[in-house]
Amino acid sequence: MDNLTALHIDALSEVFNIGAGRAAASLSEIVSEEVKLSVPALEFRKCAEFNEKVLSLDQSQLGVVRQQFSGALNAEASLLFTEDSALEIMRDMMGSHISIEELAEFEQEAMCELGNIILNACLSAMSDMLNIQMESSLPSYTVCNAEQLIQDIIDTPDQEYIMILHIDLEIERRQVNGKLIFLFSSSSLSTLRIRIDAFLNNI
Amino acid sequence: MNSESNAKISLLIVDDSRVSRMMIRAFALDKHPDWQITEAASGDEAIKLVEQQHFDYCTMDINMPGTLGIVAAEQILEKFPAMRIAIFSANIQESLRSRAAELGANFVAKPVTEKSVGQAIAFFKGETV
Repeated sequence: MDNLTALHIDALSEVFNIGAGRAAASLSEIVSEEVKLSVPALEFRKCAEFNEKVLSLDQSQLGVVRQQFSGALNAEASLLFTEDSALEIMRDMMGSHISIEELAEFEQEAMCELGNIILNACLSAMSDMLNIQMESSLPSYTVCNAEQLIQDIIDTPDQEYIMILHIDLEIERRQVNGKLIFLFSSSSLSTLRIRIDAFLNNI
Repeated sequence: MNSESNAKISLLIVDDSRVSRMMIRAFALDKHPDWQITEAASGDEAIKLVEQQHFDYCTMDINMPGTLGIVAAEQILEKFPAMRIAIFSANIQESLRSRAAELGANFVAKPVTEKSVGQAIAFFKGETV
C-alpha cells in the first residue's frame, strides 16, 4: 500500500488481534469450548487487484455476512467462511437439540449473529484503541461463489481499497478458515491513517 | 519489594507486535525510568534470551508465530521459577486465564494501556492486583 507504513500495519494488526480475541471469548462462551486463534495476518490492496489467489480460500462456495459501517469512516465489512465451516459453527452454536430441517431454517439468523459478534468485536477494538466511532447496519447473510463475490467487490462504486484479515479459528478440533474483508474509499483510508498516526504519536 | 541490591530491575517484553512492545516499554519506563528493558518478538527468542541473561520480570503475549506465549512462559518458569511473568493477551478466554493462574503467572487482558501495564507492574512488585 502506497501510504501505510509497516508500523501502521503493525498497529492495525494488533487492533484486530484484540478484536479477534474478544470475538473468540464470546464464541467460546456460546459453544462452551476453547476457541483457538491463529495469528491474524493483515493485507491491504487496491480493489482492482483483488482475486481468488489473494482471497486464498480453497472452496468456491462461501457464506458471507455483510455489514455497513458509517461514522468517522465509512466501510463495508464482510466476514467470509467456506460454506461447510459455516454450517459446522452453526451446529456448534445451536447444540444437538436441533434437527437438520430446523438448522436450515435458522441458518440465516445464526450466521448473522455470528457475523455480528465477530465484526463488532473488531469494530469495538478499533473504536477503543484508535478512537474511531462507527455505527453499523444490520448484518445480512448470503451464500455465493468466490468468483461472484470478487466481481462484486471490484465493482463496488467509490470503494477503492480492500483490507483483508486472514484468520483461522479452531473449535472442537474443527478447523474453520475465515476472512474478514473491509472495503474503504480513499478518503476513509486517509482518515484511518490519520487515526493510526494519532495513536502512534501517543506512545 | 525491598531494594536490597543496587542491581537494576530487568524486564523482558515478549510480543510479535512492535507497537505493543513500544507501548509496554513506554508505560513501564514512565513509572520506572531506571528499569532495563529487553524486547523479544517471539516465544522462541524469549526462551533463548533467558538462558543468556537474568530477567526479574517478563510480559508475554500469547498469540505469536512459533511457540505460543503460554507454552514459552511454562518452559521459562520451569527453569526460572523466581521470574515474575505477566501474560499479556488479546485472547481473553477463561481457559487461558486459568492456565496462566496454574503456572503462577498473572493474566492481563490487552489492549496495552497505562492501566493494564500498571496491573502487570503491581503483580511484579508483589502488590495486590
